Amino acid sequence: MKPLRALAAALASLFVLLPAVAGAIEIREITTPLGIKAWLVEDKSTPVVALSFSFSGGTATDPAGQAGITDLMAGLLTDGAGSMNAQAFRQRQENAAASLGFNASLDRLNGSLRVLSANREEGFELLRLALTEPRFDPDMVAQRRAQTIASINQAAQRPGSVAGRTLMETLFAGHAYAADPDGTPEGLAAATPELLKKRAAELLLRNGLIVAAVGDIGEAELARQLDHSFGLLPTGTLPSLPQQWVPPTKPRVVVVERPVPQSSALMAVPGIPRDDPDWYAALVMNHVLGGGGQQSRLFNEVREKRGLAYSVSSGLRTYKRAALLLMSTGSANERIGEAIEVIRAEMGRMRTEGVTEAELTDAKTYLTGALALSLDSSGSIAGLLHSMQIDGLSPDHLTRRAALIAAVTLDDVRKVARHLLRDEALTTVVVGKPVGVTQVP
Amino acid sequence: MPLTGRRALLGGLLAGAALSPSGPALAKLFAVARRNAETFTLPNGLQVIVLPSRRAPIVTQVVVYKVGSADESFGHTGAAHFLEHMMFKGTDQVPAGEFSRIVSRNGGRDNAYTTFDSTGYHQTIAAEQLELVMRMEADRMTNVRITEREIVPERQVILEERRMRTDNVPASLLDEAVRERLYGLHKPYAMPIIGYADDIKRLGVDDLAGFYRRHYAPNNAILIVAGDTTAEQVQKLAERYYGPIARREIGPRLRPSQGGTDLPQTVNRADARVAEPRWSRLWLAPSYRVGETKYAYALQVLARLFGGSETSRLSRVLVQERRIGLSAWASYGPSSLGLTSFDIGVHPAKSRSLEEVEEAVTAEMKKLLDGGVTAEEVERAQNQLLAAAIYSQDSLASGPRIYGTALSTGSTVADVDAWPQRISTVTRDEVVAAARHVWRDNGAVTALLTPAARGG
Repeated sequence: MKPLRALAAALASLFVLLPAVAGAIEIREITTPLGIKAWLVEDKSTPVVALSFSFSGGTATDPAGQAGITDLMAGLLTDGAGSMNAQAFRQRQENAAASLGFNASLDRLNGSLRVLSANREEGFELLRLALTEPRFDPDMVAQRRAQTIASINQAAQRPGSVAGRTLMETLFAGHAYAADPDGTPEGLAAATPELLKKRAAELLLRNGLIVAAVGDIGEAELARQLDHSFGLLPTGTLPSLPQQWVPPTKPRVVVVERPVPQSSALMAVPGIPRDDPDWYAALVMNHVLGGGGQQSRLFNEVREKRGLAYSVSSGLRTYKRAALLLMSTGSANERIGEAIEVIRAEMGRMRTEGVTEAELTDAKTYLTGALALSLDSSGSIAGLLHSMQIDGLSPDHLTRRAALIAAVTLDDVRKVARHLLRDEALTTVVVGKPVGVTQVP
Repeated sequence: MPLTGRRALLGGLLAGAALSPSGPALAKLFAVARRNAETFTLPNGLQVIVLPSRRAPIVTQVVVYKVGSADESFGHTGAAHFLEHMMFKGTDQVPAGEFSRIVSRNGGRDNAYTTFDSTGYHQTIAAEQLELVMRMEADRMTNVRITEREIVPERQVILEERRMRTDNVPASLLDEAVRERLYGLHKPYAMPIIGYADDIKRLGVDDLAGFYRRHYAPNNAILIVAGDTTAEQVQKLAERYYGPIARREIGPRLRPSQGGTDLPQTVNRADARVAEPRWSRLWLAPSYRVGETKYAYALQVLARLFGGSETSRLSRVLVQERRIGLSAWASYGPSSLGLTSFDIGVHPAKSRSLEEVEEAVTAEMKKLLDGGVTAEEVERAQNQLLAAAIYSQDSLASGPRIYGTALSTGSTVADVDAWPQRISTVTRDEVVAAARHVWRDNGAVTALLTPAARGG
């Protein structure tokens, strides 16, 4: 911790949080006897162990004709394993007060385990069973399939969900990211227990694994438990990545009609990859434009001044093969056109003027401090450690992050704003019965 | 004001060995997690709870006012929530919109919420900025300026919020209609928290300033600070910033002891925006404060074992075995200053009718009333409830939420502390007796959500 303190002292006035944050999380990298690598933050303040992990390959690699199989498979991993059917497996989880769950995102198959440290033996045993002996009993497959189809039908009526889906289909037409991670009724119908087993075997590979652990557990004990849970998994060929995305080069406006009084709008331009040198400048730019909280330009112009919306924000999203800068809002059908125009005007102002010195300073303080705010539970710390590994960061990133943010200049922000906020690359989706919004195909 | 040392939530549970029903399994759960809470009261009546945690160098401040939408009158619905929005619109010290900007500029986050019984304001920020947020929160306890200029755009924001949460969502519109029947038209809990659109359009400076004067005072508030701090530090700052605020006369909080008089009823919302039908039924139920309050703990166990998880009776029988439902649930919330409800719901499986669902649910209810519940399922439900309480101690936000809810709905810190013991001593007979008390036809509204032909 010594070098850290020195660095902190140098930045003392502005980045008061740095030493505390770094002190709060001391990340250790471990390698188990069977060769599994993991990050660990040992924390005895609560008697809990939280594990966040994932495997390479997500819904974007669903086999042709089986749209939705990866997410369906993920959910079914905890619906019976070994000699236990779904009910018996759940009861054992409940008896141990353990919670174990899986889901799939576009790029990865994700899992989490939370267990009282006193019951960790049982928690890691249930994890082993789910990973290595899942059953895919036909009755559970049928049940989960029916539930997924119902939730797809429901999402098709929620304006926000429709907007999200339509945006992805529009931006990623012809690319694997266009597909709904939940799948389609046809794809789900094709997912037989045999195919689900095959899909699990394709993805649950030790060499595709990333693990983070937080809580009341030491290095040696974690290594033993990880080998128990993951050690039996085979290694193999990782699923190939989707092709690189070619972003759209002309503006589009898509309107989807739904019988609702308030329209949902999503606007997106191509974003910036996580490993781009301008990432932190983009982070600052986004914070000033529409980043979380109630201080952004979009919040001020769309909500505070004009009362056009309750919710308005922007955010950076990254995938393995694409990146987006996304703006979203919802406004009465008669006023959504004005809200969209205000957002476009703010994009334009940011592109031409960048941010002010005061905005830059405030954004830096917030972005530096906000990291600590997310460290409020074992699960959230494990999630942070896990996503750092996905992003290819090193454990000492937390000690360097503040300096990376501090180094962002007004010019950096202006440059990244000019690069990202281009009208000609803007895709807009509006769902509802918007007045005065014209489609641009 | 001496500090009172307290064992929060799971305190007092080391007596686990004396709690017979579930024996070792529960005792093991009890023993593992405890958090110290300290409480004191300022001379002006402000009640303070401190929940120290050293995990991260951050603190959360929550101020909860003992006023919510159920304290409004018909014609003025939405006032509590509208005022919550206006609390960000400035004092002499902090200009309109600046509160959140200052918090953000200092690396923190803030927000607020309104419920039927309470209104809460919270910030999470670096530990050394606790003084800043305490100073600003104390300032707006008494100095907010409510002006027409700020109300005008904010009214539109709130109408958009209503469109987003309610008018765009068929299930929310059904819920509004169901509450009107269950609790009785124009009665507390029957009127929506966000308010009816007509009322939101009508509320003005006088309504909101009056509501603020009547309800916002130190003796009607609870201050909760969790995180990297100490009771001594919080007490010092609380005395400095909240201490000088004068107490006010606060009127009684009135809640009817009866619900809707014309029950049972059925409400059907047929809506073109509904893709999957839903059957549900809500019964008027006692809370910790009103009605047969002795059942409040048994009802939590009942909700859990009947429909609270995928191992519950409804899930097992309706979803797994008979394939009548896609999913099924039961829920019950005891923290209310007035009556509350016990809810059961089912999403029917494809090609199953709402009538079939209702018959199956009714049969399961009858089976429970006639045949009782097993010791094993009671114990499992108790374990689930206690495990959730233990895990909630792992997060900084949950402690303030638990105490804030309890103290604004008439419960005490001692009640919160005793909760695990009261849950773990619920017996099989009490669960059945509670079910028999609540599941009465003349206390229920059946709520149906069905697809309608698309009109565009």
